[in-house]
Amino acid sequence: MNHGQQSGEAKHEDDAALTEFLASLMDYTPTVYFPFIPDDLVEHYLAKSGFQCPDVRLIRLVAVATQKFVADVASDALQHCKARPAPVVKDKKQQKDKRLILTMEDLSKALREYGVNVKHPEYFADSPSTGMDPATRDE
Amino acid sequence: MTNGGGEGGSQRRELQGKRSISRGNDFAYAVVRMAAAQICESVEISSYQESQTREGLRFSSFQETALETLTDVVIQYIQNIGKTANFYANMAGRVEGNALDIVQALEDLGSGLGFDGAHDVDHCLADSGVVKDIIRYTGEAEEIPFVYSLPRFPFNRGKRPAPSFSEIGAEPPDEHIPIWLPAFPETKMSNGSEETNVDKIEGDVQSRENGPSLSSMQQSVDVDRLKVQKYMDQKDVQKPTEEPEPEGNPFLAAPLWIGEKNVSRVFPPPELTKEEIRTNHVPEKYMSKSHHIPALEAYALSDKINDKNRLAETEDGQKRDGGRTERALLRFKIGTRKASVCWTLNQCLEEKGWFQEDGYKREKKVEREEKRESIDADVK
Repeated sequence: MNHGQQSGEAKHEDDAALTEFLASLMDYTPTVYFPFIPDDLVEHYLAKSGFQCPDVRLIRLVAVATQKFVADVASDALQHCKARPAPVVKDKKQQKDKRLILTMEDLSKALREYGVNVKHPEYFADSPSTGMDPATRDE
Repeated sequence: MTNGGGEGGSQRRELQGKRSISRGNDFAYAVVRMAAAQICESVEISSYQESQTREGLRFSSFQETALETLTDVVIQYIQNIGKTANFYANMAGRVEGNALDIVQALEDLGSGLGFDGAHDVDHCLADSGVVKDIIRYTGEAEEIPFVYSLPRFPFNRGKRPAPSFSEIGAEPPDEHIPIWLPAFPETKMSNGSEETNVDKIEGDVQSRENGPSLSSMQQSVDVDRLKVQKYMDQKDVQKPTEEPEPEGNPFLAAPLWIGEKNVSRVFPPPELTKEEIRTNHVPEKYMSKSHHIPALEAYALSDKINDKNRLAETEDGQKRDGGRTERALLRFKIGTRKASVCWTLNQCLEEKGWFQEDGYKREKKVEREEKRESIDADVK
């Protein structure tokens, strides 16, 4: 660990934030279902890739980090979905009761920012330009 | 895909396609899918309406494909964290991971998008922007109370390392085996353990007590059969009383001798019985000498006589055997099509007692017994 010019006290402060956080993570299990991803599941996948750790707090940390990641992706997808021009509302009763659906398009746009390229192949290829760069084809 | 079974077919196809990517474990995949769906559902963005009321927009539903893609991404993400963290731990000369290894791994993964303080190479890891983001997220996400719609999966694997020789107190069998290595499991037939594996799969699925059974279920899905064996062995070592030792593969058991096991009667078809009456005494004497030989000779003769009959025999072995042994010297012309007719007729015969000819009843009984025994010889 490279602290540079940081003093020992500052180091302890930095550590304290992390350690407090890790300790607070352990308080969640009994009452609130906070980390949506179960610990055993995360441990399974971490073990699958070779990461061994007896400390449960670290597993929790990874679970929370993953949850944050998914939440970020989902919120980006939600933004894309919301930003999409809504279909023409013909009924007056139906105001803005738009049901948002997580679609592959929104998800792929959101994931592209995170470096994950998900290209869902077209079901029908109506024209030779199907499946090409969206800038070149009109939507 | 508009057929009735089309949806199932497309799902199956999708499943098979996904399997090649990251799905080695169906159960874990399903759990991650649920978790991803819950997280997506909990995400809310606030939008201000014209009436200045704050409205939280949420996802109300999702495309199946999108959810599966997201699940795959989540699994890859976790695995990536693990791989990178392990890499950093190994670089530092450690085998077990550290909190700081995880922080470094998260920084690596988050560097694409950027996080606070990414430019600062010398910063303290505990003070990393990634950690701060996570802390902030934890604080924010907690405000939205959320309860699982389903109970938490008891994902108890019950992994227990195999006890070493020293722990058991046993001597290693050879001197080249150090005492701190895990002890050898109890030797048993591999098929037996697989049978018990199958039983466990069909048994409990979600009970917390049967942690090892869950593990066996998961790992039976895995391609690595060695792992299955290992866990099964561990389980058997630890709970020897739970499952009775299987007797072994019945297919590898020694063949039965004649008379050892009661086999059900075989009723020959009526064509056979008609000609039996004529030539009864001949095969009867023939077979009374010894039980094996007539069967073998019957085989030889029948082979010579008729290849087609042999094919018919394989299809309808039991019936044919009865006929064949008795009619070793005769050529039988029974085809397979008459099988159903023969059976019903035989039932009638059984009631009436073989064409109402009392003289041959006793003979028939003797034949039946010998027939039965010879059937055993043939079946072997």
